[in-house]
Amino acid sequence: MTVFYRRLPKFDYVSPKTLSEAWELMQGTKGIDYQVFAGGTDVIPKLKRRQGQIPKCLIDIKGIQELDYIRYDANAGLAIGALASVYAVAHSCLVSEHHPALASAAGKIAAPQIQHRATVAGNICNAAPSADTAPALLVLDATVRCASVSGERSIPLKDFFTGPLQTALSDGEIVKEILVPRSSAGPSSCYFKLSPRRTLDLAVVGVAAFIRANNGKCDEIRIGLGSVGRTPLRAFSAESTLQNAKITEESIELAAKTAAEECWPRDSIRGSAAYRRAMVRVLVARAIKQCLSGKPLGTLC
Amino acid sequence: MEKQFSVVGKRLPMVDAAAKVNGSAQFTDDLTFPGMLHGKLLRSPHPHAKILNIDVSKALRLPGVKGVVTGAEIPDRQYGIVPKARDEYALAKGKVRYIGDEVAAVCAIDPEIAEEAVDLIEVDYEVLPAVFNVQDSIKEGAPVIHEGVANNTSFAIRKEFGDVEKAFAESALVSEDSFYSQPVNHAPMEPHAAVAQYDPVRGQVVLWSSTQIPFFLRRNLSATLMIPESKVRVIKPKVGGGFGQKIDMFAKDFCAAWFAMKLGRPVKFVYERDEVFIVTRQRHPMHLTVKTGMAKDGRILAQQFLSYADGGAYNSTAPTMMALSCFFLMVPYHVPNLLYEGYHVYTNKPVGGAMRGHGIPQARFAVERQLDLMADRLNLDPADVRTKNSIKAGEPHPGGFVINTCGFAESVQLAAEAIGWKEKRGKLPFGRGVGMGGASFPSGVTNMSHISSGAVVQVGQDGGVNVLTGAADIGQGAETVIAQIVAEVLGVSLDDVRVTAADTGTTPLDPGTFGSGVTVRAGNAARIAAESVRKKLFECVADELEANPDDLVARDGVIFVTGSPEINITFPKALKAYQYKDLPMPLVGRASWMADTNEPTTLFTQPGNFSPNYSFMTQAAEVEVDTQTGKVKVLKMVTAHDCGRPINPMLVEGQLEGSIAGGMGQALYEDVITEKGQVMNPSFLDYGFPTTMEVPEMESIDIETDDPVGPFGAKEAGEGTQLSPAPAIVNAIYDAIGVNFNELPVTPEKILKALEEKKKQGV
Repeated sequence: MTVFYRRLPKFDYVSPKTLSEAWELMQGTKGIDYQVFAGGTDVIPKLKRRQGQIPKCLIDIKGIQELDYIRYDANAGLAIGALASVYAVAHSCLVSEHHPALASAAGKIAAPQIQHRATVAGNICNAAPSADTAPALLVLDATVRCASVSGERSIPLKDFFTGPLQTALSDGEIVKEILVPRSSAGPSSCYFKLSPRRTLDLAVVGVAAFIRANNGKCDEIRIGLGSVGRTPLRAFSAESTLQNAKITEESIELAAKTAAEECWPRDSIRGSAAYRRAMVRVLVARAIKQCLSGKPLGTLC
Repeated sequence: MEKQFSVVGKRLPMVDAAAKVNGSAQFTDDLTFPGMLHGKLLRSPHPHAKILNIDVSKALRLPGVKGVVTGAEIPDRQYGIVPKARDEYALAKGKVRYIGDEVAAVCAIDPEIAEEAVDLIEVDYEVLPAVFNVQDSIKEGAPVIHEGVANNTSFAIRKEFGDVEKAFAESALVSEDSFYSQPVNHAPMEPHAAVAQYDPVRGQVVLWSSTQIPFFLRRNLSATLMIPESKVRVIKPKVGGGFGQKIDMFAKDFCAAWFAMKLGRPVKFVYERDEVFIVTRQRHPMHLTVKTGMAKDGRILAQQFLSYADGGAYNSTAPTMMALSCFFLMVPYHVPNLLYEGYHVYTNKPVGGAMRGHGIPQARFAVERQLDLMADRLNLDPADVRTKNSIKAGEPHPGGFVINTCGFAESVQLAAEAIGWKEKRGKLPFGRGVGMGGASFPSGVTNMSHISSGAVVQVGQDGGVNVLTGAADIGQGAETVIAQIVAEVLGVSLDDVRVTAADTGTTPLDPGTFGSGVTVRAGNAARIAAESVRKKLFECVADELEANPDDLVARDGVIFVTGSPEINITFPKALKAYQYKDLPMPLVGRASWMADTNEPTTLFTQPGNFSPNYSFMTQAAEVEVDTQTGKVKVLKMVTAHDCGRPINPMLVEGQLEGSIAGGMGQALYEDVITEKGQVMNPSFLDYGFPTTMEVPEMESIDIETDDPVGPFGAKEAGEGTQLSPAPAIVNAIYDAIGVNFNELPVTPEKILKALEEKKKQGV
């Protein structure tokens, strides 16, 4: 019988209290596999499924308290520490007010119990094509701030996902925070998730949109897609059809159609490729209209 | 005069509700014993294979492993809940028949080591060709799944009542439609578990099991372990849901007992969630073709059925399931002529078994859907068609059923009113619609296997009442219902009654929880036992009250004379009087009860009264379809329900509401997906049953009929309600978007595809 969930395999477990302690542990375990984790809501089930190689050591960064924050600065924008939980982000007034797409995406992950344990940074680091916060952070032009013993660097989120469950993180690097720049357009972003049920499910399709419009003309637009490719995607072609264009039913429809054409969904038990593609079209149009409506979706904060 | 009750008919919390809320209730997995070992099972990776050799030597050498057993070592005894359909070994002998079939068992000092040891067992298989659907399985030359079973068809039933051909010829409209109902899983919150302990002095094995059927489990254990039933004691701790999935014996039961006997140490098996999905039971996938002849006014004149149930690798309840599927096509509608032909077919897939409704939900879906189709073709209102065809109490029944009370027609009418049928049906904007489905269910079975229940009621000097019953409470509240019945009869409060249940070593015989018979069968036994206690007490105090014992009433802790409540004695004083008369204490009453049966009591060859009584109901749904995404939102569901007189309306409502979620799952969400015999979605994440977030506004309407057979007029409430929500929802989708769906589940993708087709055809 195919193994689905087993009891945990054997591994070492360490729990550093500071970043430098974490780096030390990572260097100490060099040559043998380690896995950094925070909430563990992706890492632990993977181990139980025996998916991929079993690391010799798990480095639990939950104890690094300095990484648990959500901050907003009028100039720098929003900073989400690596340990900020999905629940905290979903229910943060700061996030809801400035970046509704992100609050809404976080609130649509799994269920409250998991949201309390999981982190937004972890959702990004797991790099699942269906990660709910990814399309939202993509349209918000987020960057990932990584730190290693040799220094820090920033990776634009659009370059962060390199393949299914693969990221641009190098050996010895830890995501410190996710930065979302201040938006000139105000809170005009949203995230729509299509799944059979209202909770628990992975997204069949996830669509986020950000738009800045003036006098019926689109000055800036970004569209993020989840579950329709090897990684979470930006729909660049769709964006370009609407960029600087007049916003009409037709132009929105064209963008939606283009997004559906440029994504790469596949068949799975959660939905056929054809259905996912069709749903990208429906949801992109809905998301753009939602952003333009200026009406806030219900917030959780 | 309306009957007045103090405890029966009251919305009282379950007697074990507090213990469940505060965590003190003990489920099987909560039990631990000194020196207890933990078991795990090695399961087949192949859908169909010969076992050539099993090498357990490496597993045995792993430190911490205490025992390994394979099919070669266990007695050559097959088991199954239906005697004539036994086809299963606790561990496979020579051959595996589906992915997950048990090959060997290990027990060790902890579950991790047991799991590791399972991986160390080496099995040589010769993989055999496998079949994964009914169509291939019945073909000439298909792989033989069980030796000697031709065409892999393990059970066939053909019943004819009346003259179908003649009735078709007289019909104004004859429609033939095909339907498919998918496999769904019960998914009880508590995974299946067992703990066994052996007493070498008494030679007795005690098994605590998450089971619905302690006494049948004892029988199956006794047969397969080859020890007398008197040496097997099965105790049912609290059970966290069953829905039919726990009415079989499983490998965990047998292997726990086996190891306990061999090793002299307690052994525990707890299934993982994926095991619950793959290796227990599921609702049978079923293909049904229905041909119905109708008069111009919508009266059903005849129905003909051809059904194929995909049973998976073993029989489980196959004959019963097929029989129920057949017989219950003759309620709630009057079907004067009926021909049913049904086949239970083996495939190399997970095993079908009893599940809430047991063979009937599949058939009900087909019939209720087709009624709407035909009503449309005849330009009739589907609600009217249902009322018009309702069977009526007291009328002769073509199948020999005795219907004493029937609230079906009323249920159609009340459900229609509550959902706004007249204003909404066919009149809502595109994408919104209403639909309904009707159903009826037996309160246990009578004319099969002589099923009966016993009860002992004992009153001590302090007035405390102890009830011994074999009934198996699996979360539905059987112990509460029985306690309420006894409290009502004795005129005491529910707090005075303690129930000791479901222990084959101490409680009287009971078949267990299935067929929705517990309230009527075990409830009647408890009622009569309590009445016998009350009679003794009445006879004792009659002189003192200067009354005839027959004129006494016990209520609210007082015994009084009918019509003269001022002439009374309190229950404690009456008990004292009983003792001072030197009558023996404790006061004990006992009873055994079974329904009147027609002879011969063989369901399969003779028509007859199937059940002591029959529940009736109509469920109505309002839905909204997102025509761009295909998603369906159920906005409201109404259940109008005749369960006689509910002993506890709150528990009945719990059943109704649970059935709505279950029906929504069957209609819209759930499907056990297999690829080449491998279940692809055996987890709570991937198997998407509806959550509280999906559950719509619900309205329950109680239609009280005072049934003469049920205790205090009660009828079943647990299973029947599961029959009609799915067709009600699918009928509502039809009303919403004008598309007929004859296959379940109706997923968003199917809806979109159908809408596109519709557009193309320019309808």
